[in-house]
Amino acid sequence: MEYLKYTPELANDWKNALSSSESYLFKRVMDSMNQSQLESKLWIIQELIKLKIKPKRVAILAGWYAQYIVPLLYDNFESLQFVENYEIDQDVIRLSYKFNKRLKEDKKYRITIRNVMFDKIQEGWHPVHKLGMDTIINCSCEHMYPMCRFREINESILKNPLYILQSSNDRQYDDHINCVDGVDELTDQANIVDVMYSGEKQLSNGMTRYMVIGR
Amino acid sequence: MNILCVNWGDKYGREYVEKLKQQCEENCSVPFNFYCLTDKPTEDYDRQLPTTWDKYENGKFWAYKKLYMFNESQFGITGKNFLYLDLDVIIHQDLKYFFELPMDNPWIVRGWWNDIEVCKKNFAKFKSTPINSSIIRWNSNQLIEVYNHIEKNIDTIFFTYPTIDNYLNHFFYDMYGDKSFFNIFPIGDVYSWYKGNVFPDDMESKKLRKECKVCLFNNSGETNDVEELKSLWNI
Repeated sequence: MEYLKYTPELANDWKNALSSSESYLFKRVMDSMNQSQLESKLWIIQELIKLKIKPKRVAILAGWYAQYIVPLLYDNFESLQFVENYEIDQDVIRLSYKFNKRLKEDKKYRITIRNVMFDKIQEGWHPVHKLGMDTIINCSCEHMYPMCRFREINESILKNPLYILQSSNDRQYDDHINCVDGVDELTDQANIVDVMYSGEKQLSNGMTRYMVIGR
Repeated sequence: MNILCVNWGDKYGREYVEKLKQQCEENCSVPFNFYCLTDKPTEDYDRQLPTTWDKYENGKFWAYKKLYMFNESQFGITGKNFLYLDLDVIIHQDLKYFFELPMDNPWIVRGWWNDIEVCKKNFAKFKSTPINSSIIRWNSNQLIEVYNHIEKNIDTIFFTYPTIDNYLNHFFYDMYGDKSFFNIFPIGDVYSWYKGNVFPDDMESKKLRKECKVCLFNNSGETNDVEELKSLWNI
């Protein structure tokens, strides 16, 4: 998979999202849509397809507006039932729902304000939660405490889910509080013992991005 | 009534504590006890700061030692009413005001000089916090919830947040609504010497506003011009 399906329905949702963005948020929205953002999300899809993984219930941690990853997941995995995006930024809610309106209305996408390094992810409101999330995607590991903490908090509600984690070595930004210098460090931070994929990629913005998939 | 300050390290000498105490005595018309929580107690009113959290110190989470006071019982200070003041403030009006506030919730400074859109935009970047802990008013036990939250999550908090104000903003203040743990002092109570009073209309810096209650010398962690503050003490 090397592209995002730009369907008429997606075009309509995106047009509505972009045209309703508050001016003070517009640059952030543009940052979330750059070439490197799409490259890193396509990388996830490509590797999951190679591994023949069929995600069903996906938790995205700090997924921002999630305008790339959510349609990419639904377009490529018929197995997918539900995606929930856990964010701390309340400004994200409205626009992320606009970007993904068609999926929200089908009850296939939800965003929840939660700091996942302090509180466990949700169990309960949606029928699929009773089955538990089977896939955890975090493309923002450099923005938060190591993922071992997330595993510890959610030990009682997650049954050995698949982790798809990305981070970087780009320390130029103040909010990159947890950069790593290689994929092994990312793997160790999350206590992943069964590594199904690990690799690195130079993105178009010059940043080296690391990804590990495993349990 | 208890008025507290906290002094550690070498940034502020004893003269700052003495000057704050003097300002309180000149500007508080209700009886109060003054205490300084410090790593180097020398005076009767000094109380020893704990060192429990020092092992988590990593160069971030600026001014975490202030948060020990949120469990005020560990200092053996009796009484119900507490007012905390930073050492680098100028008091303009009677502090009695702070002790007459309704105390359904504790109170803290919101920097009205901040552009709230910038604060919202930078929330997830751990920057531009509107909350400022230079003045806090609480009744005994009202802040123990914050203290316990820190104790429970101490590794993560020290790792993640650059300042205590940023931490408090993330967990105990809601920029979007009115369900905050903290009440915020109204517009015009507290202003900043370096940043102004109220965004966007009253932003002149380095201007005294004696109609306000207190002037802060906060400067985003940059080195304050202490000589400038000292020259203003004599106004």
